[in-house]
Amino acid sequence: MKTTLISALALVLSLTQLFAQSDKYNQAMTTTVDALNQQEGKQPDVAAFQELANRFERIAAAEPKEWLPRYHAAYCYTMLGVMGDDASQKEQRLDKAEAMLKEMETLAGKPNDEVEVLKAFVTQARLAIDPMSRWQTYGAQFGEHLAAAKAANADNPRIYVLEGTSLFYTPEQFGGGKKVAKPVLEKALEKFVTFKSPGAIYPQWGKGQAEWMAAQCKQ
Amino acid sequence: MKPLYILLFLFTTTAQAQTLLSGRVTDRKGHALPGANVFLKGTYDGATTDTLGRFSFRTFEKDTATLAVSYMGYEPFEKKLLLNQKEVVLTVKLEELATELNTVVITAGAFEASDEKRMAMLKPLDIVTTAGAAADITGAMQLLPGAQRVGEQEGLFVRGGSGLESKVVIDGMIVQNPFFSSVPDVQQRGRFNPFMFKGTSFSTGGYSAQYGQALSSVLLLNTTDKTSNNGLGVSLNLASAGLNYDHATEKQSVSVVGYYGNLKPLFALVRQNIEWLHEPEFVGSSLTYRLNTSQTGLLKVYGMYSDSRMSMNSVVPGTAGPGTAVPGGEGIKNRLDLHNRNAFTTSTYTDSWGDGKWLLNSGFSYSRNSDDMAFDGQGMDRLDERTQARVVLTRLLSGNNSLLFGGEVHGINLQNGFGGISYSLRDQYAAAFAETEIYLSRQLAGRVGVRTEYSSLLNRFNLAPRLSLAYKTGAYSQVSLAAGQFFQNPDYRYLYLNSNLNFERADHLILNYQVMRSSRTFRVETFYKNYAQLVREYTGQPGSPDRFDTNPYRFPWGRTDNRGYGYAQGFDLFWRDQKTVKGLDYWVTYSYVDTRRLFQQYQVLATPTFASNHNVSLVAKRWFDKLKTSAGLTYAYTSGRPYYNPNHERFMTDRTPAVHNVSFTASKLTSIRGNFAVLYMAVDNLLNTRNVFTYRYTADGQTRYAVGPQSYRSFFVGMQIFLSRKAVVKQEDL
Repeated sequence: MKTTLISALALVLSLTQLFAQSDKYNQAMTTTVDALNQQEGKQPDVAAFQELANRFERIAAAEPKEWLPRYHAAYCYTMLGVMGDDASQKEQRLDKAEAMLKEMETLAGKPNDEVEVLKAFVTQARLAIDPMSRWQTYGAQFGEHLAAAKAANADNPRIYVLEGTSLFYTPEQFGGGKKVAKPVLEKALEKFVTFKSPGAIYPQWGKGQAEWMAAQCKQ
Repeated sequence: MKPLYILLFLFTTTAQAQTLLSGRVTDRKGHALPGANVFLKGTYDGATTDTLGRFSFRTFEKDTATLAVSYMGYEPFEKKLLLNQKEVVLTVKLEELATELNTVVITAGAFEASDEKRMAMLKPLDIVTTAGAAADITGAMQLLPGAQRVGEQEGLFVRGGSGLESKVVIDGMIVQNPFFSSVPDVQQRGRFNPFMFKGTSFSTGGYSAQYGQALSSVLLLNTTDKTSNNGLGVSLNLASAGLNYDHATEKQSVSVVGYYGNLKPLFALVRQNIEWLHEPEFVGSSLTYRLNTSQTGLLKVYGMYSDSRMSMNSVVPGTAGPGTAVPGGEGIKNRLDLHNRNAFTTSTYTDSWGDGKWLLNSGFSYSRNSDDMAFDGQGMDRLDERTQARVVLTRLLSGNNSLLFGGEVHGINLQNGFGGISYSLRDQYAAAFAETEIYLSRQLAGRVGVRTEYSSLLNRFNLAPRLSLAYKTGAYSQVSLAAGQFFQNPDYRYLYLNSNLNFERADHLILNYQVMRSSRTFRVETFYKNYAQLVREYTGQPGSPDRFDTNPYRFPWGRTDNRGYGYAQGFDLFWRDQKTVKGLDYWVTYSYVDTRRLFQQYQVLATPTFASNHNVSLVAKRWFDKLKTSAGLTYAYTSGRPYYNPNHERFMTDRTPAVHNVSFTASKLTSIRGNFAVLYMAVDNLLNTRNVFTYRYTADGQTRYAVGPQSYRSFFVGMQIFLSRKAVVKQEDL
């Protein structure tokens, strides 16, 4: 009797620990993703994104089988890669984002629209560093990643956020401009209404950005 | 009840067992590193350092744990800690990782234009946006320090070297005919489109043991690995019309180019100093195929063919000499007819093994060039063929160190007709080389190489050592030194009559200092070049004095040996600023060279006719965002060059006036019927300066006449349309 009780207790204990572990993961992720979502639409803050990237990296290091902490860390590094004006520092941050992307690719399973969208974002950030000499190579890559994302899930609103952003900042002569960007951004906002995120710890970004640009297009 | 107790006990103990970790993260010198990630491995516990590099966090972990610190650009740090509820305070010093920015690079003598390297001084785009370069690779290189402009000849004239002392190398393969066929006193363009290449490295001396057969300089061009467009493009300008088509899939890509050109419309608009009987007319095509054979393997095949024709009259004053007298006794006409056919193919295969530790570069190339040429009715046909194969293996070692070795073999076949006699020769040339790059520290690096060559025609070997050192003097500055020996076969025209000649030799010593900091570059380089074993030609009969013949098309009949020698010394300066004024990019170069030689038909040590002491170029370009237009302005100055005056006692002491050239270029990005297009225009010699490149004398030595440019002020307009890139995204494309 005593032994059964002890073994039952041991089982309960180990199970709670297991749940506690996954609970701890979900909790940590939820709070960190929430903190990340708070940044959307705010003035870009290098220190805040670095601190978020570090938090996600810590979770990633402790959870070698999870792709989401890597995804968010890579997203933070991509955001850091568009901030400031030191080109070599930007490249370094994007290198880091790419390294994380590589790590998560197999963990996330293929095809994964979110991963492809993030790859497109990294390419866009690289292009932005020197658009005049890079648009030929990176422009094509950007399109390829978005096409892959569409093939995986054409309803992912972030595809159209990036597409719209690209058009928004591309001069009219290159086929961009507000007029062209507007319908794409509106499409992104429509998709946000219907898009069902699998959970709070999944990618959430893009809506604020699309709203801001769509408003700019109306002016 | 007991178990519950245990549970409670467990919880309470963990709650109490928090340990506080705090401290500071700095670099080696003690400067704070803000934003570093400090954490316990395998847990979520950690913190980010603040602006002073400080961190602090609590953890429930106990006993031993591993503290990890990571910071971008620095070596990761790990330390085992004992956590026993007492506060842990520690200072972590991180070591910087070796990166492109903080590690010395071996640069002496090299000037790179690259997309890949972040530290490159020039981007490939700079080549086409530079005014005065006429979208020609060599044209742009001539505006760089160490290079010189010689208006009436093609080629790269570097630091007192002739155009023949420079080699153009594509993906490691020597290009036999990099320029359109030479015509007396008319400079020719390069045959290759700048957009074919992802990177360019222009060496003004002291270059790697991987390359040879160039006494002065190599221009290394690396073709792109992938097509950048997809679909059809049309180019149209005053001189030619062309079509290009690109298609790429994941594994392979193909690019096809075809063009037809005729300079008649351009020459009708731009006044010519030459009497054209048949304006240059050309047709050509090229094909590029690239295949990714595996994750790491890449095969590239490139082939091109062009056919061009022209006829012209050059008019020389006076009545003596060969040619047809112009009615009225105003001079003599010499007619030149040229029909050129040129084919060049090259295929390269690159791969890597063992996690990129072994790299293979291999290539095979064949080129054939024929000039059916007649000068004053006399046949001067030329034919050359070059077949070459090359293999280079590189082993990357730890800490940036590397070792490479390789070899190349060439078969060269040449024929040349002069006055009804056909001369021909064959040469089998082989070379082997080995080179190592050693990083003694992040501040100090060296490259040591050796190259050995054999030529069957000369039936001789040579051995050429090469050495480069670089030392980083500060965060943004470094000093480099390069030295080496460089061999080249003598001009083949001498070898038709005398195959006992030896290699010509140059010894280089170069010292360089450069500072590169956020879009500003300053570079100064000083050099000494010693020439030895140069070919001398003795044109006089035994016992009588030699006669100097300035005819650029003469055949070297004289007796020859390798007793020539000479030197070149000087320095050059480069300053580029892309930062001070937003949108404005400018650079300034000044090159000084003092050079004298006793070679060819020279009778005493003298500055050669192609050398000018001072070269200055001011290049500015600006991007106007609202107009979507880029505009560039270039001023180039070349000081006077020596010319031969038969009436002057002292040999080669007369100087031509200096050459000035102001040029302008603009290109506008726009859309035509929904297709992306680039419109461009260029004006050369804006001020219509009557430049003189050299003077010659009539056969009787009585009358001097000037050799100048083909035209003074000239202009050019054109456009490129990309039919594939739709300028408007339609609703249904979404």
